[in-house]
Amino acid sequence: MAKKKKNRNVAIVGVGQTQYSSHREDVNQPEMIHEAVRLALADAGITIDDVDAIVHGNMELFEMIHQPDLWHVLGTGGYGKDSFRITTGGTTGATLACAADNLVASEMYDVVMTVGFEKLQEGHTTGGITNMADPLWSRQLQTGALTGSTGYKMEKEFGEERANRAAMMYRIIMDKHACLNHNSHRSFGLDFDQMDELMENSPRLVGDLRLIHMCSQSDGCCVVIFASEKKAKKMAKPPVWVRDHITVHREETFNIFGFDENYPVPMTHRFAAEQLFARNGIDSPVDYFDVFEMYDPSGWWGADWMREFFLFENDEHLKLIEEKEIMIDGKMPINPSGGVTAANPIGATALVRVAEAALQVRGDAGGHQIPGDVNHALASGFGGTMWTVLMMLERELSW
Amino acid sequence: MKEGFEDSYIVEGKMALPYSYFAGRVGSTFLTTLRDKKKIMGVKCNTCNKVFVPPRQTCERCMEDIRDNWVELKNTGTVTNFTVVRYEDKHMPKKVPYVLAMIHLDGADTPMTHIIEGVKPEKVKIGMRVEAVFADEDTNTIMNIDHFKPVTEKIEVRERADAGGTGAKTYTGEQPETKKGGKPAMSKKVIITAALSGAATMKNQIDSVPYEPKEFAEEAARCYKAGASMVHIHAREENGMPTHDVARIKATHDAIKEKTPELIVNLSSAVGMGKTPEQRITQILEIKPEMASLNTNTMNFSIVDRKTGKIFIDFIFENTFTMLQDFGKGMEENGIKPEVEVYDMGGLDNWKIVAKQGIFSKPYNFNFVWGVAGGMAFRPDLFMVLKNALPEDANYTTCGVGLDEFPAINMSCLSGGHMRVGLEDNIKLPNGELAKGSFELVEWATRICEILGKEIATPDEAREIMGIKK
Repeated sequence: MAKKKKNRNVAIVGVGQTQYSSHREDVNQPEMIHEAVRLALADAGITIDDVDAIVHGNMELFEMIHQPDLWHVLGTGGYGKDSFRITTGGTTGATLACAADNLVASEMYDVVMTVGFEKLQEGHTTGGITNMADPLWSRQLQTGALTGSTGYKMEKEFGEERANRAAMMYRIIMDKHACLNHNSHRSFGLDFDQMDELMENSPRLVGDLRLIHMCSQSDGCCVVIFASEKKAKKMAKPPVWVRDHITVHREETFNIFGFDENYPVPMTHRFAAEQLFARNGIDSPVDYFDVFEMYDPSGWWGADWMREFFLFENDEHLKLIEEKEIMIDGKMPINPSGGVTAANPIGATALVRVAEAALQVRGDAGGHQIPGDVNHALASGFGGTMWTVLMMLERELSW
Repeated sequence: MKEGFEDSYIVEGKMALPYSYFAGRVGSTFLTTLRDKKKIMGVKCNTCNKVFVPPRQTCERCMEDIRDNWVELKNTGTVTNFTVVRYEDKHMPKKVPYVLAMIHLDGADTPMTHIIEGVKPEKVKIGMRVEAVFADEDTNTIMNIDHFKPVTEKIEVRERADAGGTGAKTYTGEQPETKKGGKPAMSKKVIITAALSGAATMKNQIDSVPYEPKEFAEEAARCYKAGASMVHIHAREENGMPTHDVARIKATHDAIKEKTPELIVNLSSAVGMGKTPEQRITQILEIKPEMASLNTNTMNFSIVDRKTGKIFIDFIFENTFTMLQDFGKGMEENGIKPEVEVYDMGGLDNWKIVAKQGIFSKPYNFNFVWGVAGGMAFRPDLFMVLKNALPEDANYTTCGVGLDEFPAINMSCLSGGHMRVGLEDNIKLPNGELAKGSFELVEWATRICEILGKEIATPDEAREIMGIKK
């Protein structure tokens, strides 16, 4: 998968996020979106008049509104502007970022504002997700987005004790990060000495996936503004350059490929990472990147997917967790924001990963800023039936 | 099941999922005010001055926070668009057929969508006035307004002062000798004519244009109340088409005279497009109104788009010298005073040529008509040229099409002439709003008199000025 030609460089110039919460009774959808739009414009030091196009996205059906982008013009400020609606499932937010990068790089627009949002309190997430299933043979059987298969797979490979401890350690580290981020929806103040108790007492959802492992349903909006190099260099804040991105979507349901060792099918995460790093000449991603904002819907997935994204073969990912090297001051900080288990406004979630990675590069993450320089950042999106989007951000135009 | 598909099974599906949309604080205030106070509230953007309803927290065009700028709106509004829903489905809020309309509430700048009831779908019109009917049971949604119904607005006329109203005063003093008999001097008395219908103003433009004799009588009475001493009419068929039918015109004429005997009725000898000279004059000679219009030149009299110059209907308004002579003679011989319609200087000169035959009785009465597509647009200097070219013993009034109406009548009143207004010429008030009827245009004409320190003529005084022998 060759790298595509890019007509010009594109940078992230503005980020705005609402507080993530499950209690936004005080605002309707456009009003909530407007909060993030205002913050992002202020962050970029521009007005809505400077924005050429808007890319809007959230999950289909979750709030049961057809073409919500039309209503949301009241909040986005998109009146009279070119606007696009994108919905690619859980990857929506990351796809928004890719689309904005492409739109600016194409020289069609100089400044593009991406708007990812979700107001899950108003809708019915599981109902929406269940509609994804084959309506003839699977809809009556699907349980929504929860799955215990990753836990089963890890337990089988690394033993029950080690696998469970790694997943819970990962989860507690995420909570510690979430406590540093004032936008977090959930931050419990968990500590490592609670691990045994949580492994015992947190209710099981599916298999060994427990309630504490799982992300929440959040309300919130994330807005990220992208600009051409010429424009970006004139803006107040240092630009964060979009180096490359990759999207790997594959239509399959969980049970088609299963765990048949005779027919290994690489996960889209690994496939995407391999392609992206190869074409950018990155041999060891774990050494190259200073931060990784991962779309990690549960502690199990977070722990397991590190192996795919960093192209590990054995238990390197578990060691990083066990040695707490994924903490904010560790060797490979993962999700200083707290990740998806801290807040999951789904249509925004993958865009939040890009936004948080950009804030880290710029040094503007505040309470959860990584100590030391962040020159290279990676952000991922996840959705559908194992879909992946990866985006690389850089401090310098040096590649 | 359709034949041939007996072996094809359908898997039935149904998903019923709960959704709950937060109205937010702004939306909640709107809903609670609707529920508790039966009032419709909007919010105003102080940058663009637009009032939005239903309300919003931000003006998305100005990006201004407008959440606290509450404005109370009226429960009444105007239909700006509508459709009739005729198919039945489970999600329909009302039994079909029902009317779904865009309603521009009084005080708001954005129309809101709602349902209109209490009127047959075929009677709903754009421009129709409606008012909110609040639901008996609270739903905490926009359906707290159950529907809108047509307004039957009470028509209030600003009545002339001598009849006890707050309108213009009627002249009570003695008319100076030098100013009697229609000298083109600064008359204190101003005759206001209301041209109620014309041939082309239709109900789809403005509902108050009369078609039926009864409607003419009611509108004429309101105009009289407001200060008019004469009405100029083109009678209409039931469907609104202008007519030369003597019976219909007589019925219209008589209905007006019966309801308001004081009024001077001035019949049109133009009638409408495509009428023959015989059709145009016969009705006048048979009905014998006190006054009738007399046109002075053959001219283009077309319907065009004033903005683009596009021609919609091209029409030649035929008024030959012979017609001018014959119509004039016929009127004078039957005691009908002609109102000489002057569309340009050539028309006035035409009249002067024919007048050499000694047909016309003094004083002469002219009407300067402005803004016809084919005639002159209003210009003050041109107005004075026409005025100065009038013969001795002449009165003049004036009318203007559309935007020319108010400038022209101001000029006339200022320079010593009289004024004609009405839906024939113009349907809008000086502020651009649709007039409630010709009477409201008369009210505005009387305000010109007040500003210039003039008083309005009673019909009898108007007869004296114009030389009408009752």
